[in-house]
Amino acid sequence: MSRLNTARVLFATRFAEMAEYRAEVVIWMLSGTLSLVMMLVWMAQAQAAPGGQIRGYDAAGFATYFLSTWLVSQLLVVWVAWELDFEIRQGTLSAKLLRPLDPMWTHYASHVAERLVRLVPMLVLVTAFALLSGARFTTEWWAYPAALGLAALGFTARFLYEYAIGLLAFWTESSTSFQELAWLVYAALGGMFAPLDFYPAWVQAVAVWTPFPYMLGLPAQLLAGKAGPEDALRGALVMLGWLVVFWFLRLAVWRAGLKKYGAVGA
Amino acid sequence: MTTSPPDPAVHVRDLRKAYAVHEKEPGFMGSLRSFVSRKTRQVEAVRGVSFDLHPGEVVGFLGPNGAGKTTTLKMLSGLLHPSGGEARVAGFEPRRREAAFLRQITLVMGQKQQLIWDLPALDSFLVNQAIYEIPDDQYRATMREFTDVLGLDGILKKQVRKLSLGERMKCELAAALLHRPKVLFLDEPTIGLDVNMQESVRAFVRDYNERHGATVILTSHYMADVTALARRILVIDQGALVFDGDLGSLAGQAGAGKTIRLQLRSPVTAQALAGYGQDVSVDGLSAQLRVPRAEVSERAARLLADLDVADLTVEDPSIEAIMADLFGHRTPPALERA
Repeated sequence: MSRLNTARVLFATRFAEMAEYRAEVVIWMLSGTLSLVMMLVWMAQAQAAPGGQIRGYDAAGFATYFLSTWLVSQLLVVWVAWELDFEIRQGTLSAKLLRPLDPMWTHYASHVAERLVRLVPMLVLVTAFALLSGARFTTEWWAYPAALGLAALGFTARFLYEYAIGLLAFWTESSTSFQELAWLVYAALGGMFAPLDFYPAWVQAVAVWTPFPYMLGLPAQLLAGKAGPEDALRGALVMLGWLVVFWFLRLAVWRAGLKKYGAVGA
Repeated sequence: MTTSPPDPAVHVRDLRKAYAVHEKEPGFMGSLRSFVSRKTRQVEAVRGVSFDLHPGEVVGFLGPNGAGKTTTLKMLSGLLHPSGGEARVAGFEPRRREAAFLRQITLVMGQKQQLIWDLPALDSFLVNQAIYEIPDDQYRATMREFTDVLGLDGILKKQVRKLSLGERMKCELAAALLHRPKVLFLDEPTIGLDVNMQESVRAFVRDYNERHGATVILTSHYMADVTALARRILVIDQGALVFDGDLGSLAGQAGAGKTIRLQLRSPVTAQALAGYGQDVSVDGLSAQLRVPRAEVSERAARLLADLDVADLTVEDPSIEAIMADLFGHRTPPALERA
């Protein structure tokens, strides 16, 4: 009961804090336009292609796919590595270490609360983009909770591995360069530049051994009506496996890092 | 029948902390050289410190910048892992950071620690209430107590970023002590505050210590903090403990001397007083000088005989003067116990 109360208070407080930044959150959303740029590029390619299609995608199909990846990527936004990099190097982590609660939970509550602040403007923007681009989302009702569930698993997995990356600041001058490399792999293998089946076969073969297609590409394909319930179920099982891996990875890096912590500054 | 003394609230034996620091020559070439081959140097920040603090004791922890005070406090609060030695606080080994240990301690460092910057301080208190699982009735009682002593009325609902430095420090203290810790590590709790606010913080710490029987270890550059709160003083220099005793005994340390204040009937020059003592200062008909403790009577008698003195008083040196004397040397002496 007390754990639930702690979670409730943490979430409520972080929601209040994020709501203070609501305007910045919308601007931040608009700055994440890679999917939208890729949408315009591929729509133009499809319109210029013989038959108006590339590998089964017409312009509206590309619009649907890339708007879906944009929508899912909004749910997967994680900035915890930047915060940890700052906290460790500046020593502000110390105040959090003095409390009988793993600082991870405060960060997690902030991220989840931010999703709620993001929700309404996100739905307004995706509706506007869909009307402008001619995107057609699936009419299968089950695809929406399935995509949302996969996005929730994907977000948590991404949060955990980004957390582990942020903790590298215990050993390095700055961990954010690792974070940028991780983002590139996430965006490429998640399908943000193009649907995964457009990649060379060997890249696809490598990608299935990573969590990225399941956290970003698969929920986007579900929303676009290009993946079925069995794909969603298999993806969820894979993501659960990755969650366990990242949970223990984060824990191991955290425990090792604390021994290195210099508690400089504050 | 004899009763054994209570277990110490803080037990420290031969505590050590060494760490590597990277060294780089300034400028572009220095950066290039550092990129190819990085030089590191081992620094011994704390070198075998030992002491015990009894429950309810308030101790001043003094030393020059870089002496190892903050490093010691960080080890005792579990933030830093010691390189060697033993530390137990409230019966726990700090480096393990067990939840039960963290509920018994607090460490206050500076004025931007616990509070959520964009929200009223009250929100941060509610978060701490939830994290420390403080029952509602205890939370309300503690808030009433802190509001009275610290004067928190009217500031709890203001955004933290809009609070003055002093108001923020009051809220930081309240947030750090909301769970009623038994051991307080206070690292420069009054730094940057005006005189009135410093006095409020001192009164709060004194009141908390009396009400809750908490053990307090306090570092401060403001000697008024130390003299107002602590009877026992630990002095650390270059990572080693060089004094452990009461304030009065600290004044008796070699070289500290006493101050003679003079009210004169006719003016004299500083040069004329130089033969009677050190650190002479003259301001109109007032003068003061420092004399060795063992020669106070003889020097005072000479002054009275040689000069036209209206009044003469002898004072113990200020704690600042004692510190200046203690740290004038650079070789740490053996530990003095008094």
